[in-house]
Amino acid sequence: MTEQEKRSLFARLKEILYGMGAHDMSRYALRTRASMEHLFILITMGDLIGVPILPPYYSLRLLPYVVPNIATWKRRMLREKDISDAMF
Amino acid sequence: MSLRAWFEQNRERRYIMFGGKGGLGKTTFSAATAYWLARQGHKVLVFSVDPQASLSDIFQRDIFGKGPVEVLDNLWAQEIDADSNIKAYQQEVRQKILDMYGFDQIPEEIEHYIQAASAEPAMEESAIFDAVVDIVVKGDYDYYIYDLVPLGHALYYLSMAKVYDEWINRITELREQMREHEEMVARIKRQKVTEEDQILHELQYIKGRINQSSRILTDKERTAFFFVLVPEQMIILDTEKAAQLFARFDVPIAGYIVNRILPAELAGQHLPPYLQNRLQVQDRYLDEIKKTFGSRLVGSVPELERDVTGLPMIEKLAAIMYGDGGR
Repeated sequence: MTEQEKRSLFARLKEILYGMGAHDMSRYALRTRASMEHLFILITMGDLIGVPILPPYYSLRLLPYVVPNIATWKRRMLREKDISDAMF
Repeated sequence: MSLRAWFEQNRERRYIMFGGKGGLGKTTFSAATAYWLARQGHKVLVFSVDPQASLSDIFQRDIFGKGPVEVLDNLWAQEIDADSNIKAYQQEVRQKILDMYGFDQIPEEIEHYIQAASAEPAMEESAIFDAVVDIVVKGDYDYYIYDLVPLGHALYYLSMAKVYDEWINRITELREQMREHEEMVARIKRQKVTEEDQILHELQYIKGRINQSSRILTDKERTAFFFVLVPEQMIILDTEKAAQLFARFDVPIAGYIVNRILPAELAGQHLPPYLQNRLQVQDRYLDEIKKTFGSRLVGSVPELERDVTGLPMIEKLAAIMYGDGGR
């Protein structure tokens, strides 16, 4: 086994270990982060789906930062929920 | 205590507001007070935050939306044009979105939101009070005389400020938690920590602005709020109620001024029964006002022979309110 093969084997092993342990953790953290993001948009931009919460003068200040997230947020807020949502 | 004595004893109170129901004389009192203070050698800005402002009518000059205009030596007047402030603000938001994402136009949905947000009534109050913060923070003048919006709006704003503050604390907390999660993921994945959260910055800015504007309204050392009332049953009751509410929101009430008192010398003359009756009723209400507000009553202004517009009438009113021929 050459030095290079050894190194790539080691790298792969590292990825597998990461996948077993850390991947799930980071995925979970990202999911929580995404839920929070959506909650955040809801309380600042609720008007977009008809739920006025933060006064509009100041929510306009925040609008530019959430522009890219609005489409996924709306999809998540307005889609129908079923039991599989709780499973995955 | 007279108004003059009050100003002499409270020299550090430089934010002067006149409030009361619509049409009782807030704007004329603001103008006369500004006139008198300017004549005393202070640099004074009298400004109106009322969308139906009438400083233009009183000074007989069109000052609406023109920024501070010098109407006399040391005396500046300004009428805030909330509508065009809001339009400029919307445009700023649009431009920011275009710059941030390199769009050639605002996505339809976002544009709808911008327009819908601006149509809400809270928008105007917020825009107005935000503009007031800008004016006062600059500190270009010795005295700031606010010709306030009718009571309801001011109270609405103050209560809004309290709710906003609470809200923003919560949102900031959420934002900080989001940041922690982001950092955790970055650590696990051994990535570099993500860039600073600009939203958090904005939230802190918003919080600062809201606190500043409600502080201007409630600063016990520098603000003084005068209620304007007239000798009429309904107005007395409403003023009492409003004063209680204002006190609850920590607005420093400095005194009450009665306007439009029918001159007492009328009583000796031959009057038609209608006027006689009005005089009697007025006496009763004046007694009631004295009983209710006592020493906090700092001024009484008679009904004048004509409405207060133009500098000569402002000078006359200032003379009545402050003595010494208004100088």
